[in-house]
Amino acid sequence: MSWQSESDPRPPSRTRAKWLVMPALALALALAGFALVLRGLWIPAKAWAAQQMIERAWSDVVAGRSEVRPWPWADTWPVARLHLPGAGSPLYVLAGASGQSLAFGPAHVSASARPGEPDNVVFAGHRDTHFATLRHLSPGAEIFVESMTGSIHYRVDEAEVVHESRVDLLERTGRSELTLITCYPFDSIVPGGPLRYVVHASAIDPHPHPPPTSTFQP
Amino acid sequence: MRISCLLPGLLLLHLALPAPASTSRELGARLEPNEMGAGGLLFETADGLRQAPTLATDVEIVVTGLIARTRVTQRFGNPTKDWVEGIYVFPLPENSAVDSLEMRVGDRVIEGRVEERARARATYRKARTDGRKASLVEQERPNLFTTSIANLGPGEEVEVILTYQEDVHYDKGRFNLRFPMVVAPRFIPGTAHVEGFSGAGWAVDTNEVPDAARITPPILDPATPLSHPVTIRVEIDAGFPLEEIESSSHPVLVRAKSANVYHVRLEAGAAPANSDFLLDWRPIIGATPGAALFRETWQGEEYVLLMVLPPEPESASRTPVSREMIIVIDTSGSMGGESIVQARKAVGYALGTLRPQDAFNVIRFDSSFHRLFETARPATARAVSEARQWVDRLEANGGTNMLPALEAALAPGRESRAIRQVIFVTDGAVGNESALFEAIQQGLGQSRLYTIGIGSVPNAYFMSKAAQFGRGTFSYIGRPDEVAEKMGDLFSKLENPVLHDLAIEWKTAGDPTAAGKTTVEAWPSRIPDVYLGEPVVVAARLPGGVAKVVLRGRRGGEDITFELPLEGGSNHVGVAKLWARRKIAALMDSLNEGESVDRVSVEVARLGVRHQLVTRWTSLVAVDVTPTAPVGVVPDTRAVPGMLPRGWNFLKIFRGANIEAAAQDQSRAADTRRSEGTGGPGTQTRPALLAASINPPVARVQIGRLPQGATPAALLVSIGGLLLGAAGIVSRASRGPRAGHDAGATIRGNVIGKGRA
Repeated sequence: MSWQSESDPRPPSRTRAKWLVMPALALALALAGFALVLRGLWIPAKAWAAQQMIERAWSDVVAGRSEVRPWPWADTWPVARLHLPGAGSPLYVLAGASGQSLAFGPAHVSASARPGEPDNVVFAGHRDTHFATLRHLSPGAEIFVESMTGSIHYRVDEAEVVHESRVDLLERTGRSELTLITCYPFDSIVPGGPLRYVVHASAIDPHPHPPPTSTFQP
Repeated sequence: MRISCLLPGLLLLHLALPAPASTSRELGARLEPNEMGAGGLLFETADGLRQAPTLATDVEIVVTGLIARTRVTQRFGNPTKDWVEGIYVFPLPENSAVDSLEMRVGDRVIEGRVEERARARATYRKARTDGRKASLVEQERPNLFTTSIANLGPGEEVEVILTYQEDVHYDKGRFNLRFPMVVAPRFIPGTAHVEGFSGAGWAVDTNEVPDAARITPPILDPATPLSHPVTIRVEIDAGFPLEEIESSSHPVLVRAKSANVYHVRLEAGAAPANSDFLLDWRPIIGATPGAALFRETWQGEEYVLLMVLPPEPESASRTPVSREMIIVIDTSGSMGGESIVQARKAVGYALGTLRPQDAFNVIRFDSSFHRLFETARPATARAVSEARQWVDRLEANGGTNMLPALEAALAPGRESRAIRQVIFVTDGAVGNESALFEAIQQGLGQSRLYTIGIGSVPNAYFMSKAAQFGRGTFSYIGRPDEVAEKMGDLFSKLENPVLHDLAIEWKTAGDPTAAGKTTVEAWPSRIPDVYLGEPVVVAARLPGGVAKVVLRGRRGGEDITFELPLEGGSNHVGVAKLWARRKIAALMDSLNEGESVDRVSVEVARLGVRHQLVTRWTSLVAVDVTPTAPVGVVPDTRAVPGMLPRGWNFLKIFRGANIEAAAQDQSRAADTRRSEGTGGPGTQTRPALLAASINPPVARVQIGRLPQGATPAALLVSIGGLLLGAAGIVSRASRGPRAGHDAGATIRGNVIGKGRA
């Protein structure tokens, strides 16, 4: 009997199990939820902070250096400065539109013409961070792109929504123009849809201006 | 979201293998992507994937002497109920000069014309928007082309007929011809651009191959049976009696039609498009001409194509010169199966030719590379047998990271011999050709590069160019039983002195001294080294009066000169195009030597337009004059005064309706504007017209993707929020009394808790 009375913790232990499991579950859910929210918020934070760091790299670019990495382990570097109407500060455009560089700023699609070249220059950006303002651009709006090879003023011609397969938009056209690409629709929660919002702009003055004044001439 | 984007009736065409035919009965059946029987297109529709129309391909080749003219008929059909656009990637021979395009719709024939690439594309796009049938042929690589066809109506069939010209290859007494059928998967090195780029083309664009997605159509599961036949017919008018005609790739039937004219067709009638078609023929002994001349007078100018077989050295006075042989073998995944067996055999053969005074090394590469020995080693019996064992154990797998291996092979060692031969055994399945060419040109030095193509679909363009830049030769081994023969040919070339520093002089009859360096323009401008049994082939534009050709060169330390009167020769249409094609090839090569793209592109485009050839910067475009898609309004959208800003209006008009459906194709925007302009205010009042105008080219082949422009931030925050909410509910439930029976299911626990409270 004593054995049984001693070892009769089954109902209490069951309750205790529940007492342990439910809060543990709640805690796990809360932690996971918190982690996801944090990760979600981290993306715009990173997008913003990276631009600040890249700003410093850009001043080196203007000073005549090329491929200045904004932080030592970066696999990209600023190639242009993009002034969009409606965006407070200019955006620094990074080399190569990889998922990685897009997290830090709009990126130059390397298959297209180089920024400053009088041909079709293509930048891509995220619709919910750097390129969120694209939806407010209207025809006639002016866009200014500074780069080491020259600076060009563009005027917006039109925008269109296209399927992601329209890779012909990345091709050279022989005209000095700027193509900005972001995802569409703007308010979708889920990333990775097949539609893209594309803004086409033509150079106002087809001849690029000389590069920005540099403080250092090699 | 993704599903909502796939509006009913929207077609996403997925590109598959280059093309050839499918039978119509299987069209339209619902399919899973991996159920695709063979090359063809997949349509993605609201109710699943369907096999799209592929096309029947008929090939007719007419060979006259040294020139082959090929007509490729691609018959596109559309079994669906929608208007579609299709794009097909297909290979052609690397020296082909595509010069004509015909589009046949029913009994109407629309002739294509060559335009500058961007303009041709604009013409095509406009026709696509206007609802007119159009086709566009573009060059992606010298041996890789795409055909686009817009506004293919439901149930319609359109034929696209391409014609190209090439000169027949001649080597060691045999003429040969190749018709490539498959775009072999290419290895795409470099850093990937965008995770979102890996669309229907299987490769992601990289820094070394920026157009990767354009040149990598999806490849079908090899386990599925191939059923897409290509018919091939060849007429050979060699100009002399032939001893033998054979195909090492396909069984063929040969019939003598008349004296010196032969007809060849596939024994099986049609072949699956999974292996290049090869044909070669040999004149009866003694009938091989020492020289051949073809002429054409075009736009008042005289063009000639000249083939000269240099006299063979009289005495085979082979001095046993010691040499260094570097054998490179590709063991990448694409070499799997029969190819690696052939490659091992070929390397075995090469090892067998080594003499004790030679030095050698073997390098294998896939994603990385390994040398057998640290440096080249004398070919002692022991070293050679060690190499044999090593090679026999090689298996194929991994990527094709050719560049480091190539650089290592070309880099001379400290004690390198004067004669350095690099034997490169590969299928050439690479996409970064120009980086490799650059490495060859910069690193060649005293080495000579001999490429050996293996497998059923080698990248012949890459390998023949690599051999050209490497001042060596390209040999192709199609079957295991050809290894000994082809390697034997190669080594007989290597062991005989090469004819080098060749120069050609064109002399006028009247004054042989004041010879025509003047206005003769001959291509190639620098004649490549000529190995035993190879001819010198030159295309030239001549001023009047050139009567004699003098070829000078050096062989085995002595000067060699031979003369040839430029008389007679047969007239042949297309010589001028061959000349232009060679000039374009030389201009394209100059890009690898650092010439500026701007200058070259202008020159190439000018030649392309003048001679009506498809080049990197000129395309063929054919546009039907009448719109066939059901629109029936003014095609020029710019002329219609727009009531809304250009490019935007459709978004506003369709807001609230199915925006994505509306936005899917910009052509609809134009149509909407049209109806705005012509039909009075308010498209909404004209649903019928709008519905009709939505029909035009909605479908689109995916051969790449635009960069993906969204982050998962919103998604993460939302899910995170949901989880936090769930955590709250659970914690509330657990705070409830202890009576729950079921600790496992939180929701039920919650309900019970509530009941208790």
